[in-house]
Amino acid sequence: MNNDLPARRETAGLSQADLAAAVGVSRQTVNAIERDRYDPSLELAFKLAAFFDCTVEDLFDPAIDPDRLHE
Amino acid sequence: MSTTPTGRNRHERLAKRRRYRWLMVGSIAVGVALSLLLRALEYPLVGEVVYWAGIVGFVAVWLATPVTLFDERDVALERRAAHLTLNVFAPVLVVGASAARILTYVGAYEVPAVVWGALWGYFALFVTFAVAYGWLRYRS
Repeated sequence: MNNDLPARRETAGLSQADLAAAVGVSRQTVNAIERDRYDPSLELAFKLAAFFDCTVEDLFDPAIDPDRLHE
Repeated sequence: MSTTPTGRNRHERLAKRRRYRWLMVGSIAVGVALSLLLRALEYPLVGEVVYWAGIVGFVAVWLATPVTLFDERDVALERRAAHLTLNVFAPVLVVGASAARILTYVGAYEVPAVVWGALWGYFALFVTFAVAYGWLRYRS
């Protein structure tokens, strides 16, 4: 899933370890999310959104075409 | 963006998680390695004691640690690894059991008891998986 996490984290001057510590996961998990190798759970997505004071949709773009929801 | 005064505590918690995970893995690894060494040196009973010390150490760290040792990605990786393992062993069981039966039937090869034991072990594993899956599906 495309995400805005690296840009927001760097703008905030945080390392991956800082962000990981803030939301209670490992640095490797933050790294995997940023590299689009792991999709976070809803709970973690909401935690990240709460941390950056934005919505989940601001952080993550699932690139779903509304006309092809049935596929 | 949220900023909290407990950032340092959170870093300490992550460092503690890493430390405990290493301790868990180290406990098993050292226990097994030492037990193999002791067995090779013909101290099998001492080796067994060391082996169990490693197991107990692993479980003790797992149960006694105040921090969560595995996060959601670890759980997801474990699930994928389990799925991959089942996908590898399913064809082994299907082909292996059939081949063992045919070879025995035509008398071309006497399949060793250890192979039959392994095949029955795989079978038990898949039965356990089916029961666990059914139970979880029923509960969800």
